[in-house]
Amino acid sequence: MNSDFNSPDSSPVLRARGLAKIYGEGEAAVRALAGVDLDLYAGELVVLLGPSGSGKTTLLNSLGGLDVPTSGELRYRDFELTGADEGRLTQYRRDCVGFVFQFYNLIPSLTARENVALITEIARDPMPPETALELVRLGARMDHFPAELSGGEQQRVAIARAIAKRPEMLLCDEPTGALDVRTGVAVLEAIEHVNRELGTLTVIITHNAVMADIADRVIHLSDGRVHQVRQNPRRAPVHSLHW
Amino acid sequence: MISGLDRKLLRDLRRLKGQSVAVALVMGCGLAMMIMARSLIHSLESTRFEYYESHRFADLFVHLERAPLAVAERAARIPGVAAVQASIAVHVTLDLPGVDEPASGQLHSLPDRGAPELNRLFLRAGRWLAPGSRGEVLVGEAFAAANRLRPGDRLAMLVNGRRQTFQIAGVVLSPEFIFESRPGVPLPDSRTYGTFWMFYGELAAAFDLDGAFDCLALALAPGAAERPVIDAVDRLLIPFGGRGAFGRGDHPSHIRVTDEIRVLRIMSIGFPLVFLSVAAFMTNAVLTRLLILQREQIAVLKAFGFTNRQIAIHYLKFALVMVAGGTLLGGLGGVAIGHRIVDVYTLFFRFPELAFRLDRSALLWAVGVSAAAATAGVFVAVRRAARLPPAVAMRPEPPADYRPAWLERTGLGRLLSHTFRIAARNLERQPIQALFTVAGLALATGILIVPNAFRHGIEEVLDYQWDVVERQEIEIGLVEPAEIGVRHLLRQLPGVTAIEPVRNVYVRMHHGHRRRQVGIQGLPEGGAHVRMLDAASRRMELPRQGLVLSAKLADALDARVGGELVVEALDGRRRIRSVPLAGLAEDFTGVTAYMEIGALNRLLGEGDMISGATFTVDESQRGAFLRALKEIPAVGWVAIKDSLRDAFRRTTAASIGFIQRIYLVFATVVAFGVVYNNARISLAERARELATLRVVGFSRREVGAVLVTELVLLALVAVPLGLLLGAGFASVIISAVNTETVRLPLVLTARNYAFAVLVVTLSSVLSLLFVLRNLNRLDLVGALKAPE
Repeated sequence: MNSDFNSPDSSPVLRARGLAKIYGEGEAAVRALAGVDLDLYAGELVVLLGPSGSGKTTLLNSLGGLDVPTSGELRYRDFELTGADEGRLTQYRRDCVGFVFQFYNLIPSLTARENVALITEIARDPMPPETALELVRLGARMDHFPAELSGGEQQRVAIARAIAKRPEMLLCDEPTGALDVRTGVAVLEAIEHVNRELGTLTVIITHNAVMADIADRVIHLSDGRVHQVRQNPRRAPVHSLHW
Repeated sequence: MISGLDRKLLRDLRRLKGQSVAVALVMGCGLAMMIMARSLIHSLESTRFEYYESHRFADLFVHLERAPLAVAERAARIPGVAAVQASIAVHVTLDLPGVDEPASGQLHSLPDRGAPELNRLFLRAGRWLAPGSRGEVLVGEAFAAANRLRPGDRLAMLVNGRRQTFQIAGVVLSPEFIFESRPGVPLPDSRTYGTFWMFYGELAAAFDLDGAFDCLALALAPGAAERPVIDAVDRLLIPFGGRGAFGRGDHPSHIRVTDEIRVLRIMSIGFPLVFLSVAAFMTNAVLTRLLILQREQIAVLKAFGFTNRQIAIHYLKFALVMVAGGTLLGGLGGVAIGHRIVDVYTLFFRFPELAFRLDRSALLWAVGVSAAAATAGVFVAVRRAARLPPAVAMRPEPPADYRPAWLERTGLGRLLSHTFRIAARNLERQPIQALFTVAGLALATGILIVPNAFRHGIEEVLDYQWDVVERQEIEIGLVEPAEIGVRHLLRQLPGVTAIEPVRNVYVRMHHGHRRRQVGIQGLPEGGAHVRMLDAASRRMELPRQGLVLSAKLADALDARVGGELVVEALDGRRRIRSVPLAGLAEDFTGVTAYMEIGALNRLLGEGDMISGATFTVDESQRGAFLRALKEIPAVGWVAIKDSLRDAFRRTTAASIGFIQRIYLVFATVVAFGVVYNNARISLAERARELATLRVVGFSRREVGAVLVTELVLLALVAVPLGLLLGAGFASVIISAVNTETVRLPLVLTARNYAFAVLVVTLSSVLSLLFVLRNLNRLDLVGALKAPE
């Protein structure tokens, strides 16, 4: 594990300054992000904590190039995300970011292996889909359709799909939100395992404070702002979690 | 290797196979029509062209009284004339053993040596005439086939009043008689009318025409204009009783084939247009629904870096797979139907060989047109999907904005059931989808009207017109016009209950720059046999003065009632007179001009003459009557209504009937396709809502009632619209395919409307049953668990 990822001389992978996002106009306008300053470093595991409505998902979508902030500055290494056109954002997502969603969002008509292969086909330097599925310990169920897998297994397929292209950054939006504790732990283990094995910068959104212990850093968000950043002295093992 | 997206495509298609097949079927119907019609056009045009070329079909034709052969040589020197063929064509009556009615025909001369310069024959069976032989004839194939005559058989003919027996040397075809019918009669009756050929020497001797001719065919030099040559030929031949030269455009056989091609052309555009529009509607409905269901999937693909283009192409491929399926079905169907229609054609078009020739460009057109229709159908939906920002797509569609339906707002709401309210609100919230369903159902209802309108039109022609409009049973034509007094002799024939005189004369009719060569039928005032109907099917009386024209003829001449036509008699004194157009008759075969017989005789200035007569005959003495006719040499031809009607039933009606049946099948496919598709979509879109209703305690019956109510509400709007639309389709299509040969009246019966309603209702009920069956299998928990 890289111990000096937040040392002043190592430059951040992702850098946000004054990031704001407003939905709607006039009286109906909703301020989802109200000026977020944030640096994310290579290889770290970050947990973004906050109550619902605090802007977690909006921030994650902005970081991942799914959504365009209304104002502020967002830079991925040398690439300016704010103001980038749709084509460049697509390229950014294709090359640099892996997503894991709360509801897995697998293509139901494709098997686990095919869901992963779908993404590796368009990636620059992917790992074989089988390797990705082994990484999340799903080697035995590769040829099952999503409907034949449990929720936890589906989420692990989603993780495999996200990491198979070896992204520099893995963004997980409430990855255990739809799961019970036991399967939730298994999914977190998979994410943690990937982070450790591949050194992928990993951001997990959750409103479950218990998960903060497995992170290198914990960022608290409320009312669209970074409220607090906490450095864990050491990461707790995932299997020790209870909620 | 198949890509991941394509694999998804295949899996999704398999899930949507019912709907994809429905779309492909509808598309296939339209394409089959198009491929069939275009290929038949290609077959007819190319076969006719090759036949004309190889057998040197002439460009101009003229009949005359008689002229020395030297005149033909002068005709050959007219500028613009490349070749001439002088011959003799005479009328003969036949005596067929075992046949009561007299048959007749035309006997043509062939050069004693060598092949004719123009209009060469094709030998189908037997051999050519043996040089120097006498007593041999060649027989046209249509007559030979209808009377089962074979080479070697003997045939008795009345040649210039003398009964002679000939041996059939061979059975032949001529480019002049691809369509063979008695001159002036648009419908063929090959059993009692035929075409024959013998050597010039023998024929000329029999008719005392040695060294002379009465028939001239001319070929134009490449690039020569027709009109000046016609005028020069007419000037040359008037002293010899020339009856006016005419081009291929006035040639009965040529016109008939051209008419058929014209009908096919309309079919190749009009019908596919309707079917492909429906298919485009359906593709749109299927894809729009798919895109809504796959909102999240699209978002994920975009989140992982698939470009808008890749996604748009992915969904376009759905449409294109259906297009490929439709083209395949259409191609196979078109070829199969085309082969069958060629078989029907051989009943009345006589080519050396008429084979179905696939128009390959039609296949390209089919792919192009249907791909364009499908793309147009899905373009908006696909673009919307591709434009969806990924983060927005990831969120489920916001709950729809419902409000009370207008029916409820009128205050009637309290009277309505919950089921009705849900159904009405849902329709009102999605007006576009409701509109599409209404449009699809209306189109399906509408195209069901057309085939039966054709069928009822044929029935009308066969039964009503031929019995009400034409009251005579038998019509005869005299070899030469005779004094009107001859009718008293004809009245004495056995079994005659009524006789009316007829004067037929061949004229050239001018109006402005347009001109046509047609026959004028002179009929007695107040006659009971031949009746004319106006556009409103009311009986018309012949005016004392002036002409009544077939509406189609007036159309061709661009003449209006009240205007003046210049009539140039092509016979006898060849008078040219201006005659007012007094009325238009809606008749159904051929084009004719009608005139009161006295007025016509005054116009011709030849005294009170008749050229034929119409009869009604006591049924029990019919045989005796026909046998007596056989014995009168002055009778040139006999037309028996029943056998004409029979021939019409076997040929024209059969071919129209065949196409009508195909069309009926196609229309039914569309009706089922549209309704089925719609029911599937509404089930898929509403699975959650319907499952929720079940979960909160609605019974299956109540939930089913919501869907049924929706469909009934839509059908109540769509079906009446569809009936109107169908009446429009039928009127446009029938008037478009009406030709100078055959016209069908537009007959729209309650039976026809009822049939359309029945088919649409039946397909709706079947589709609903299918949907209700699926409703019973609805996974209540699963439907509610899906992410939203």
